[in-house]
Amino acid sequence: MSAVSQAVARRRSRPARSGREPLWRRRDRRWAVVFLAPQLLGLLVFLVGPLGFAVVLSFMEWDGLGDASWVGLDNFRAQLTDPAFGRAVWNTVKIGLITVPGGLVLALLLALALHGVRGRTAYRVVYFLPVVTSSVAVSVIWQMILGGGADGILNGTVQDLFGITLPDWLADPTWVVPAIAVVTIWSSLGLNVVIFLAGLATIPTNLLEAARIDGAGPWQTLRSVTLPMLSPTVFFTVVVSVISSFQAFDLIYVLVNPDHNEGAQTIVYKVYQQGFREFHFGLSSAAALILLLLTLLVTAVQFKAQKRFVHYES
Amino acid sequence: MSAVKRRTVLAAVAAAVALSVSVSACSGSGGAGSTGDAKDGKVTLRWSTWGSAEDMAVFKAFTDEFTRKYPNITLKLEPVASYEDYHPKLITQLTSRTAPDVFYVGDDYIGKLVADGVLAPLDEQLAGPLSKSRPTDFFEGIYGGAKKGGVTFGVPNDTNPEVLWFDKKALAAAGITEDPAALNEAGRWTMAKYLEMNAKLKDSGRYGSIFWNWYGANYSLVNGFGGKVWDNGTFVAPSDPKARQALRTLADGYRDKTFASADLLPEGNSAATQFVKHKAGFYAGGRWVIEGIDKGGDRESYDVVPFPSQTGEPIPGAVAASYLTLNKDTKHPKEAFTFLSEFVSKEGQQLRLKGGSAVPSIKGAENLVTEGNYPAHARTFLDVRDKGFANYPDEVAVPGLTKAINDHLMKIWEGKVGFDEGMTQLQSLVDGMKGPKG
Amino acid sequence: MSNRRRILLHTGLTAGGLVMLFPFIWMMLTSFKGATQMINDPLAWLPGPWRPQNYPDVLGEVPLGRAYWNSMYIAAVTVVATLLTGAMAAYAFARIPFRGSGPLFGLFLATQMVPAQVTIVPLYIMLAKLQLIDSHLALILPAVANPFAVFLLRQFIRAVPVELEDAARIDGASRWTIFWRIILPNIRPGLWTLGIIVFLASWNSYFFPLVFLNTPDLFTIPLLLDSFHSQRGGVDYGLTAALSAMTVVPMLIAFLVGQRKILNSMASSGLGGR
Repeated sequence: MSAVSQAVARRRSRPARSGREPLWRRRDRRWAVVFLAPQLLGLLVFLVGPLGFAVVLSFMEWDGLGDASWVGLDNFRAQLTDPAFGRAVWNTVKIGLITVPGGLVLALLLALALHGVRGRTAYRVVYFLPVVTSSVAVSVIWQMILGGGADGILNGTVQDLFGITLPDWLADPTWVVPAIAVVTIWSSLGLNVVIFLAGLATIPTNLLEAARIDGAGPWQTLRSVTLPMLSPTVFFTVVVSVISSFQAFDLIYVLVNPDHNEGAQTIVYKVYQQGFREFHFGLSSAAALILLLLTLLVTAVQFKAQKRFVHYES
Repeated sequence: MSAVKRRTVLAAVAAAVALSVSVSACSGSGGAGSTGDAKDGKVTLRWSTWGSAEDMAVFKAFTDEFTRKYPNITLKLEPVASYEDYHPKLITQLTSRTAPDVFYVGDDYIGKLVADGVLAPLDEQLAGPLSKSRPTDFFEGIYGGAKKGGVTFGVPNDTNPEVLWFDKKALAAAGITEDPAALNEAGRWTMAKYLEMNAKLKDSGRYGSIFWNWYGANYSLVNGFGGKVWDNGTFVAPSDPKARQALRTLADGYRDKTFASADLLPEGNSAATQFVKHKAGFYAGGRWVIEGIDKGGDRESYDVVPFPSQTGEPIPGAVAASYLTLNKDTKHPKEAFTFLSEFVSKEGQQLRLKGGSAVPSIKGAENLVTEGNYPAHARTFLDVRDKGFANYPDEVAVPGLTKAINDHLMKIWEGKVGFDEGMTQLQSLVDGMKGPKG
Repeated sequence: MSNRRRILLHTGLTAGGLVMLFPFIWMMLTSFKGATQMINDPLAWLPGPWRPQNYPDVLGEVPLGRAYWNSMYIAAVTVVATLLTGAMAAYAFARIPFRGSGPLFGLFLATQMVPAQVTIVPLYIMLAKLQLIDSHLALILPAVANPFAVFLLRQFIRAVPVELEDAARIDGASRWTIFWRIILPNIRPGLWTLGIIVFLASWNSYFFPLVFLNTPDLFTIPLLLDSFHSQRGGVDYGLTAALSAMTVVPMLIAFLVGQRKILNSMASSGLGGR
């Protein structure tokens, strides 16, 4: 989606004309404004405006009620030198590192397994069910399963059957990360499976046919035809999953209550805690901006990397 | 890469434009505290509190009675289900001047709101003709952070004194023959006795006591040892020898599982569950523990006793409180005060607390606690309340301080930090948080 | 595929399906358990005794019907408004050449990465100025501003053959007519897909309604799910499960009825493609 490819696309989409600018093109500029206005207005008022406010706040100390004062880069310095914030960054990254690859690999395998299998619809429905379930309800259900210690459903049953004591998933700072990852993957798996199935459906059958005629086995076909053809889909889902994993809040907040478990304290939680619990809106904004920068950075790296790994049909 | 650069510049410009828009929006005239208008002399009062669906139901009787008495005032309750979410929302409302006319404030946030000057002072009106109760009708110790420099900014709604519930069956099973409540009446309920019972309970394969990790339990125990938490505006718990001894007893107890922390017990196997299954001898809590006991169905096995002291003499115990406060920016100060006053008055508390699990904050409504004759020593709640204290004003004046202290203590209880090291850290943590704000 | 492998595959898929379904099954069973059983025998699979009374109990304590209606119509309005304005902006980016189109689109994409918690205080102040706090518009308007929608629909519009448009233009159709008559019908799968994603996001939203709504009559479903967590006494899981079931089951039924349409349009939308 570089500006260049856009320009190329645009040029191609327009019949070449020479001479004076035609009337419809001047009209077009007005139309562009009309078509863009509602979203653009909404964007400025509800996203860019508040973001600008947050940027200013990040250089101030403000408790929400009293006067605000300039503190320069102090908020950023405070965050970057605070070990608790470092842990939050690490937790955020850790959750992303498990959820994104884990969830996507699983979804990809399932999509490959389901592709062309009879009874696909029934499986699709079953795997998609969690997607339509509210994240608060998801958290409540999983609390019953993973929580409860020795009397919890999972731990209690395992203890009864095998005599093995499992860690206390939601209370243990080490094990809470995999627990969050499992629940996140469970709830988003279906969506990714459907997306991958869609991507698989767009692969021209003649390509697969050709590979088979060339004597490629199923594994080879997968590696040299299916996966490259699917790579734009994979890229899209990776980008979106990373962003949503970095911003995840509702599910973790209700499932774990990070107040009592350091392992579940992510950057977004810090933003919430420092802003709304302790009323250091400057610190909180600084944390949020650091998260934003981190997201931008990771996304930029992904866009860089796609040139090597993503196959686009020209 | 010029595309990226252009993009960045454009984003920055757009942000600046939007910022100027939002800043000019903020600097507009404020003061829209309430939605009701007084065209026909009718006023809508907004008020807010926290609690579950069940908690909200108890306000119905009060609201009906109030509306009958003041037909020109319509009450509009704006509840938030969880306590953790309530204050963040309230602060956001105060920031944008859309807070309700009257609102609850928890004892860990009252200091902050008093310091910020967003609450109306109440003394004049409390002593005035509209008032249904006198300031002195409430117990002095419970005002806590709601009073500053002799000015009252909030009135306690109701209280929940922290006591020790005990399970006679568990005690008997551990070979304990003495009854804590009887010992207390005889003036022999000492810390030594209490710890000895805990040790026996532990030896019988039970928890001695279950505590919630909050000031109510922690500081009650410090008081029981005769220690001090705050002294002249300084946090002294880590240095005061007796306070330190109390905290060390707690830390050691948590580590050898004589004590259990209710915060760490998993949901679904919570403190209440352990207690009704006779797996613990003592459970520190308020009158609300009754709810859990009722679910277990073995009411007669349980009774209450205050926290013990060194000598057996009663000590000031901690009392959880919440306050009703008046928005300084309310458009209907008179009606708002009328509501506040009715709400905290003796009659108001009789209506609100009936069948509930709180203890009235006002003198003269004691029957609410004693009339059910449960637990046998229900009087204990009143004794603790009368001499008790709400969290220290010094502590609640700094937002998040109480929580930070508890979180740090939790690390010590869990053994993540050694005791001596933890105490040093606690001292610098508290000094640090108090520092920048003065 | 050999028979053996097919059986193996189906066994694996079924086992996975059971893992996916288990939480729902457990929720349904728990919704019939009483508090006493939850305390004394938390591991029991079957309720004993069965307690259907949980359901009327819940309905007696929380305004579920009201919340249903609120959640439903907020989500519906949000979807319609997002689809319309999102497609408009997407069309401008995909097909109308204008100066600064590229950078502006970049800005749209970048704002997608702004975490909601950072904007909430300024957003709140702004909505308060606009007198929108404690109204459903406070939830709908910010949700409609959706860069992701523009991004997604732009992908779809780019796949619509330009020739269709050119033909219409020669017939004298205006941009709006082209958009309405040619573009929208041709990106129907994209609209469906986006509609579902927007609907679910609105339906599940917890944080914004929590902060923006005050009046219980305006509450949405996720706000009710907290109702049976008492502060210290733990959770009444029977009631909470019954409430969860009542919020989840209708969505599941709606999904089952419409699943062919929903999943097929998501599939044929080629969400991933290009």
